[in-house]
Amino acid sequence: MTAVYAGRRRRRLRLPGFRFLAVAPLLAFVGVFAGYPLVELVRMSFSHLHLANGNFDWSYTGVQNFRDAFHDAVFRHSIRITAVFILITTGVSVALGTALALLVDRARLLAGIAKNVLVWPAVIAPVVVSAIWWFVLNQQFGLLNKILDALGLPTQSWLAYGTSALLSVAFVDVWHWTPIVFLIVYAAIRSIDSSLLEAARVDRASEWQVIRYVVLPMLVPTLALVAGVRIVMGVKVFDEMYLLTNGGPGVATTLVSLYIRTVFFDQVDLGYGASLGLCVLLLVLVIFVAALAARGIARRVAAA
Amino acid sequence: MTRALRLRRGAPNAADLALLVALAVIVLPIAWMTLAAFRQPRDLIEPGVPITFTFSNFHDLFAAGSTFTHQALNSLEIVVGTTVLCTVIGSLGGYSLSQMSWRRSAVALVVSVIGLIQLAPPITLVPGEYVTLSQFGLLGTVRGLILLNTMFVLPIATLLMKVYFDGLPVELRESGLVDGASEFMVFRRIMLPLAAPGLAVVTIFTAILAWNEFLFGLTMSKGASSAPLTVWIATVVQSYSIQWTDLAAAGVISSVPIILIAVFANRFVVSGLTAGAVKQ
Repeated sequence: MTAVYAGRRRRRLRLPGFRFLAVAPLLAFVGVFAGYPLVELVRMSFSHLHLANGNFDWSYTGVQNFRDAFHDAVFRHSIRITAVFILITTGVSVALGTALALLVDRARLLAGIAKNVLVWPAVIAPVVVSAIWWFVLNQQFGLLNKILDALGLPTQSWLAYGTSALLSVAFVDVWHWTPIVFLIVYAAIRSIDSSLLEAARVDRASEWQVIRYVVLPMLVPTLALVAGVRIVMGVKVFDEMYLLTNGGPGVATTLVSLYIRTVFFDQVDLGYGASLGLCVLLLVLVIFVAALAARGIARRVAAA
Repeated sequence: MTRALRLRRGAPNAADLALLVALAVIVLPIAWMTLAAFRQPRDLIEPGVPITFTFSNFHDLFAAGSTFTHQALNSLEIVVGTTVLCTVIGSLGGYSLSQMSWRRSAVALVVSVIGLIQLAPPITLVPGEYVTLSQFGLLGTVRGLILLNTMFVLPIATLLMKVYFDGLPVELRESGLVDGASEFMVFRRIMLPLAAPGLAVVTIFTAILAWNEFLFGLTMSKGASSAPLTVWIATVVQSYSIQWTDLAAAGVISSVPIILIAVFANRFVVSGLTAGAVKQ
C-alpha cells in the first residue's frame, strides 16, 4: 500500500505553493509596515524635514541630528529618568509579584478569587488605568486624600512635585503590571516538584527556610526572565505618563518615549524626533545583546 | 500530599490576610472610579463620600451624534479589523513555519526578526510609521490604525500559533494529504480546528490589545472621525474643564467588557498574557 502511494505522496509534499502562500502575507506585512518604516526612520534621522503644502520636504543633513541629540540636556535627562523609572518599577514589581505568587500558593481561602482578580489591572487599558489613578491621586476628591483626611493626616498634591510625581507614576506602573510577574512566577512555582518541598519540611525546615533555600533558588531563571520582560516594558511605557503628568512638572517625569513624541509632534522636528527614536532603538538592541551575552557566560560558568 | 493539604479549604491563614490587602489595593481604585461614574458631577467634590446614584453620565456619553459614540465605534472597527488580520495572517504564517518543513535556519531567521519587532518600543518607530502611512494616504484613517495595530500584534499572534502547531504531530498533515486533500483543506479542516485553543487565545489577546491601544490612535488619527475610544478619554483628561463623571463613565465602559472577559475566559487571557510577555 505504502509503496504504491509513495510516489504520489512525495510529489504532494514537495508542492511548494501553499508553503509560500501561507507565510507570504506575514512577510509582506512585516516588510511594508516594519521594514519600510524602519528604512524611512533611518533616512529621516539623517535629514531635516518640513511640511510644505501637506508634503514633506526632505533635506539631507548628515549626522547633525545625532550630534544635537548628544548635546541635548533634556534627552540625556529623559534617558536617566527612564533608567531610574525602570530600576524602580522592575525591582518593585518583581518582588511584589513573586510575593503574591508565594501567597496565592499558600492561601487557603482566597487563592481562587485572587488568581482571577490579580489579572484585572493587566487587561485594563493603560489610558483607563491613568483615569482610575486620577481619581485616586486627585487633590480634591482623590481616594488617597479622602483616606488621609479621615485618618487626620495632611493631604498631598501627589503629582505636583518632581519626586512624588515620579514615584506616583512608578507606583501606577507597578499596580498595572505586577500581575504579569505574578502570572509567570506563579506558573513556575506550580511546576516545582512538590516532593522537594516535602523533603525540606520532613527535615524540619521552617516555611520561610523552604522558600529561601528551596523555592527561590529554583525560581532564579524565571525571575531573570521576568525582570527582562519588565525592563522591555519599562522602555515602552508611554500612555500612563502621558496622561497622568504629561512629563511634568517641568521635565521631572519626561521619559524618553514622551520626549520623542514631544519633539516629533509638538516641536514638529520630524528628523530630530526620528534620530532620537533610532538612538533609543539602538540602545535597546545593545542592552538586549549584552543581556544575551551575559546569559551565555552565566550558563557556561554554571556548566563548568 | 502537600498540594492536597494546600488546596484544602478551611480557616483563613496569614497568607489569606496578606492577599486580602493586595486585593483591596487592586479593587478599591477600580471601585472608586466606578462609583464616580454613577454620581452627579457636583457630588464628586463634596467632602466625605456622598451616596447618590444616576445614569445621567452614561446618557451624556451616548447622546445623539456624540464624539464618544463615534470613537467607541472606531475602536470596535479597529478591534474587528485587527483581530481578523492577526488571526488569519498569524495562523497561516505560524502553520507554514511550524509544519511545512522549512529549513531550520529560515524559520529561526523569521522568528528572530519578528521577535525583534516585539522588542522595539513603539514610539521609536512612530516617526517612520507616520511618514509611511502618509505616503500611502492612510494617515488619519481607521484603516491605517487597523494596519498599525496589526503590525504590532502580528508577531506575537504568529509565534503563539506556531507554538500551538508545533504541538501537533506531522503525521496528521501527511495522512490528510494521502487521503487526497489539498494543502489548504488539510490546514483548514484538520490542523486549524486542532489548534482552536491557540486561536482562541490569539483572538482574545489581540482584541484586548487593539481595544486598549492608545499611542497610534493618538499620533496617527485626525479628530473624532478616526480616533479610538482611548483618545477620547485622553482628550477629556487634557481639556481645561474636566468632566470628571463623564470620564469615569467612559472608563467603566472601556474596562467592564474586558474585565468580564478576564473573569469568564480567565484561562485564555492568562495564557495570552504570559505567552505575550515571554515570547518577545
